Amino acid sequence: MIFAAKLKPRWNRWLVKRIPPAASVLLNQRRIFIIPSRTGAAFAVVLLLMLLAAINYQNSLAYSLTFLLTSLFIVAILHTYRNLAGLTVKAVGASPVFVGEHGGFRLQLLSGNRGHQAIALGWTASDLQVLDVAAADVSDCELRLLATQRGWLRPGRLRVESRFPLGVLVSWSWLDLDQALLVYPRPIAADLPAHAGGGADEEEDGVRIRGQGSDDFQGLRSYQPGDSKKRLHWKAYSRGQGLLVKDFAALAGRDIWLDFNQLGGDLETRLSQLCHWVLQLSASQQPFGLRLPGLELPVATGVAQRDACLRALALFGSPA
Amino acid sequence: MSGAKHSALQPPIPRISLTWLLVAQALVILPHIGHLPLWVLAMWLFCAGWRVQIFRMRAGYPNAWAKAGLMLAAGAGVLLSRGSLIGLDAGVVLLIAAFVLKLVELRTQRDALVLIFLGFFCVVTAYLFDDSLSAAAFSALPISALLAALIGLQQSHLAMRPWPTLRLALVMLAQALPLMLLLFVFFPRLAPLWSLPNPSNQARTGLSDSMTPADIAELSKSAELVFRATFDGPLPARNQLYWRALTFEQFDGRRWSQASVGQLLAPPSLRKSGQSLSYSIIMQPSGQNWLFALDVAQSSAPDIQQMSDFSLQRKLPVEQTLQYAVNSWPTALRAPDALSASLAHDLQLPAGGDPRSRAWAAELRALYPSNAALVQQVLTHFNREPFGYTLKPPPVGIDSIDEFLFRTRRGFCAHYAGAMTFVLRAAGIPARVVAGYQGGELNPAGRFLTVRQFDAHAWVEYWQAGQGWISADPTFQVAPERIEQGLEQAVSAEQSFLADSPLSLLRYRNIGWLNTVRQGWDNLNYGWQRWVLGYQGEQQLQLLQRWFGRMDSQLLLLALVGGGGLLLGALALFLFKPWRREQDPRLRQFLRFQGLLARHGVQRRPVEGPRAFALRAAVELPAQSAAIQHFAAAFEAQQYALSHSDPAALRRALATLRRALPWRLSRS
Repeated sequence: MIFAAKLKPRWNRWLVKRIPPAASVLLNQRRIFIIPSRTGAAFAVVLLLMLLAAINYQNSLAYSLTFLLTSLFIVAILHTYRNLAGLTVKAVGASPVFVGEHGGFRLQLLSGNRGHQAIALGWTASDLQVLDVAAADVSDCELRLLATQRGWLRPGRLRVESRFPLGVLVSWSWLDLDQALLVYPRPIAADLPAHAGGGADEEEDGVRIRGQGSDDFQGLRSYQPGDSKKRLHWKAYSRGQGLLVKDFAALAGRDIWLDFNQLGGDLETRLSQLCHWVLQLSASQQPFGLRLPGLELPVATGVAQRDACLRALALFGSPA
Repeated sequence: MSGAKHSALQPPIPRISLTWLLVAQALVILPHIGHLPLWVLAMWLFCAGWRVQIFRMRAGYPNAWAKAGLMLAAGAGVLLSRGSLIGLDAGVVLLIAAFVLKLVELRTQRDALVLIFLGFFCVVTAYLFDDSLSAAAFSALPISALLAALIGLQQSHLAMRPWPTLRLALVMLAQALPLMLLLFVFFPRLAPLWSLPNPSNQARTGLSDSMTPADIAELSKSAELVFRATFDGPLPARNQLYWRALTFEQFDGRRWSQASVGQLLAPPSLRKSGQSLSYSIIMQPSGQNWLFALDVAQSSAPDIQQMSDFSLQRKLPVEQTLQYAVNSWPTALRAPDALSASLAHDLQLPAGGDPRSRAWAAELRALYPSNAALVQQVLTHFNREPFGYTLKPPPVGIDSIDEFLFRTRRGFCAHYAGAMTFVLRAAGIPARVVAGYQGGELNPAGRFLTVRQFDAHAWVEYWQAGQGWISADPTFQVAPERIEQGLEQAVSAEQSFLADSPLSLLRYRNIGWLNTVRQGWDNLNYGWQRWVLGYQGEQQLQLLQRWFGRMDSQLLLLALVGGGGLLLGALALFLFKPWRREQDPRLRQFLRFQGLLARHGVQRRPVEGPRAFALRAAVELPAQSAAIQHFAAAFEAQQYALSHSDPAALRRALATLRRALPWRLSRS
């Protein structure tokens, strides 16, 4: 184990040199490794037993079968390599997710003149997804990875593996498709700080803002991450109408500032709460601004504002 | 590891693999049926039925108790039907029982692998029982099916049709063949590392170490192959082809039997003269030690010994097809200076019985003081008196020799040889019965002789001071056609040739084309035996020396590595076709375009041109019509107009289209 741990960084450095990061990689002899699998070792033991039987019985047919299977083993090297070679693996993109969700990395496998069978893809050697690619065709797949912390989720190298056709050999490659996915903080429901309003304390014509208020029932809307479970409309869910949330309206001031410093709790909790409010206010088309230490996003509304704020929250505190 | 965890880690067996596994199992077991007890077959049907029910979710896997019970039952079954758990026969039954039982606990890919490897091993054991050309050809079926099962195991669950898997298996087998031949020729053949139990074929026909006339009559009904012989020079005349196997020197009034081994081990004395014959013989397994050869034979093989009765014997019984080279000196004198003490047991007779024969012998002795004249008189007697040759002799009583010589006078070689030996011994001439085969069928295409069980023969040899042992064949006096043409001609009048086997092709030798086919097949089998089955240490050495003038480890290594590298290189060229790599990149983009639209439900029809296809696709996918048209126009411009080839532009157009289409996983 210690030996393996020492070897690992060296192996990684070598791998970076050999297979540098790229969004699209063609698998060829530079990038494909091949060795006998565990099945292959068992097969070799069987071959040895058969050879012993052939020698001791001086039986030409037993020799022939042993040699035939040995030849198949050798020929399988070409076939196993061929099943992977000529395949192009391409990163297509990934949509942002919240902490606690599974991020989906979309990949495309493009074949050349040949079809490829049972190509296994995954982040670790033990958990692989299998798919086929016909000749001159494209297969799409989505590899999921649990997002455990906010910021950029980089999945590390992608294992592409093939044991087809005999399973006695495994050919594989570790590709860095330079993929990354933005992970937003996990939204946590909290009350909007009392002085989130524009600073004016006189209660002029307040606007109704939808969301976490409890004053007036506004209707039902579909569930968004961060919504309180208490407000789920279970009856509608049981009728098969999907997850709906009972929407209430509260009165608030005109401009809303979501201010990091106005919140209590540790950094991540505050970011989570801000995240929740960004989602709520965006859903209700309410203009808002975001204040983080060292960063201020002016009051605005719309999807662009929402994404900018979420991105700021996700990347808060991380270099660049 | 618990069962549930085990199956969670190990993926289940794909349907194609299971299909081929069941087929392969039937094909693997089929050649074994002849030497399997019936209960194994019943167990197999039961397990296969159970497995199919498991697959159809109508039955569960056996629990640990059921499995242990089945295993114990199988072990007990082997013990009951084979008498032990060791030995090749019991071992093979156990192997097949395991192969069958594994079926019901076939859950994961690892179980399937075990089953496939067991299957390959069962094929090897089948070769130990039958290594004929037809058996080898048949074994291609189970091997292909097992390979298909192995490939099926690696396929994704998206593959649904079993035939492409078999096709790939056959293609791979074909590609592996050249490499296999290379290994077969050049892989060094070692001597057995240790001795293993051999298959015991209980029901073997052939000569045994004692003889009654009925035994030979039994052999004459069988057309089974005994051996084949190839001569280096011209073939001797048919009436010279007396293949000696063993001699019978003891007579108990009914049965002739072999002398004790101790007597046979004495070194023979031989005075060689004249030309020698050189030939090689491939004999079928007989389960006996003796070999077949023309008089007087010697072999240089280390494990073949010449016995004191001039037969050749091997140290171990012949349990597998055996090839050996022999030199024979037909005119050599056999033990001309033997001491009378060593000949005492060749005068042995039962204490009493057959009084008329003894009286006749005494009468002859009185008339002919010379041994040669006496023997000649006995032969003439058989020739002159109304003796008949038949495979259906009338029954004889207690004094069998008397009844045959003076009452029935009908019989075949064993009767004549036994009676003559009796009379000579009674007259004081050392004599014995020689058993073996006479004649053989010449295969005109292969120039070899085929000797079958019905060629079994018995003749007489007597000892003459100064001349040694001299052969005499009383049957020749009665039925010369038996010696000069063969059994079929000798018994043509009574129609008894192979009367019990109406389907034997040998009965139809008079039909020209059928005979040609039969002899061609025979020739093929003989070539198979000589060049494939007989390709062991000695033959490999000879062949390689003939080809390369030398044979050493360096040559073998060079041939294996160099030849293997060349073959693999050629195969790699064939598989990868590097000259085709630069296939028209525009066409490749179009194929991708076609595949993409097919996934969205628009299949290109067989005769549809690119433009028509694109138009139809644009109608069916109106939202993406612009992107589709754009690609089609770009492709057409590049492919058919003289526009500059720019695959990158096509790729970009395709990417635009792909973005325009809704996100869809390849196979949902």
